[in-house]
Amino acid sequence: MIRLYTVLIVLLLVFGAAIMSLEILSSNLMSPYFGGSVYIWGSIISSFMIHLSIGYVLGGYLCKRLAKLYPLMALLAIASLWVMGIPNIHPAVGEFLSDKIMDVRYGSLAAMNVIFFIPITIMAMVSPYVIGILSIHKKASGLSAGVVLFISTLGSFLGTNATAFYMINIFSVSTIVRGIGACCFAASVIPLFMRIDRKLKNV
Amino acid sequence: MKVSGLLFLEIIFCVGLLIAQSKTVSAEAKVLYEGDSIYNHIRIDQDGEERCMLFGRYKDKRQTCINMSNPDVSIFEYTGMMFVGFLFHPDSRDVALIGLGGGYVPSVFSRNLPSVRIDSIEVDPLVYKLAQKYFSLKATPMQTFTVLDGRQYLKKTERKYDQIWVDAFNTDYIPVHLTTKEFLQLAKSRLTKNGIVVQNVHNANKLFDAQVATFRAIFSNVFVFNGKKSRNAIIVASDNPLYKPSNFKQSLKNRVKIGEINLKDEAYKYDPTLKIAKTSVLTDDYNPANFLLHQDH
Repeated sequence: MIRLYTVLIVLLLVFGAAIMSLEILSSNLMSPYFGGSVYIWGSIISSFMIHLSIGYVLGGYLCKRLAKLYPLMALLAIASLWVMGIPNIHPAVGEFLSDKIMDVRYGSLAAMNVIFFIPITIMAMVSPYVIGILSIHKKASGLSAGVVLFISTLGSFLGTNATAFYMINIFSVSTIVRGIGACCFAASVIPLFMRIDRKLKNV
Repeated sequence: MKVSGLLFLEIIFCVGLLIAQSKTVSAEAKVLYEGDSIYNHIRIDQDGEERCMLFGRYKDKRQTCINMSNPDVSIFEYTGMMFVGFLFHPDSRDVALIGLGGGYVPSVFSRNLPSVRIDSIEVDPLVYKLAQKYFSLKATPMQTFTVLDGRQYLKKTERKYDQIWVDAFNTDYIPVHLTTKEFLQLAKSRLTKNGIVVQNVHNANKLFDAQVATFRAIFSNVFVFNGKKSRNAIIVASDNPLYKPSNFKQSLKNRVKIGEINLKDEAYKYDPTLKIAKTSVLTDDYNPANFLLHQDH
């Protein structure tokens, strides 16, 4: 029981933090190609909102269909690997799209979606998926939907501040992005070996 | 739960601040304009003959001023210092200016360097609009204005410049993508054979060392001029400068004054024994510019 809750809380915290940390870092990924204007923030925030909203719906739907945690873990592992590859793909994407699309608004919007659509959509599935799992296996669930969202948002708070205030001063952007990818990968793969879905039956 | 109590306290706190603030509006200078753009809070003040464009609200006192009866006077030291570019490249034909402000620089060009073309690039559309309205800026065949991010402009332009001037920085916030090795590489690719980059910086913080180091990573010649009255400094960089500080005497033969700016005085601000702390080069990938900016030497 405690092990299950620990896994869920770690997932919520890590992916909540990762999403916002990547959002902060995207301004560094975009500005060399599209400038540092308010337009790139418009692209960054609006594309993350789209990815989150699609992820929420998909997360809820998949959870209902599958009612198990391991498919989520597998998807999260894919998203994490994608994140680790972002430092390799983003210069090519930025260069190509800023040459093809003259308007920096649509150029940066396109770049944000190419780079982040898959990982952020998958990461956004965590909260609704966890809420769904808990409601399917509810007997004595200590985590209400509100507490799940609280934990994930707390993670987002930590990710935002740690990145913007401290990490960006110490590490290169590509190091931070790869580090986030590695943490996310660990958080999604380790529970696969913990037979977490068996624990669910005892909830 | 005491949440309602906290909310109530916060409302009281905000109302108190509002009342306190309404009493502290100063009445020294006449306010000609006050408003917000997507980037800045901008105010235009007139104090005697001096008309200023002020950015930010309280802490950030960045401003650009013009003396209305003698608009050639450089009210701030650094604006005059940037003209040292004409010691390195006296017969410049094309200059790009990134960061317009109140438009002091193009106005000096229009009166004193009529044969030099200057393309000004400003990211904030309201700054350009206000510079036209309150600082009588006008587009002419020799003076163009583009509202765009400076790096984007350089990337897209097909022009080459004898001098690229960069003056796009706040006192408390730096657009990081205009400080990097990659940016300087791009600027260098838009220079003519003997072209130079002239950048206005502050020499009181650790960012200065990092900026000099970054220039040195891209250009074979980097010169620094330190303000005498201010902590402003000018970095001049070139791969093949026509003149160097050692033969400024020759370039001064062509021209000593540009309006009220005396190039001889500015030349003395060259620092031949510049020492910078060991530091890393700023890149698009690793750039703690805004962190270094707030660290004093």
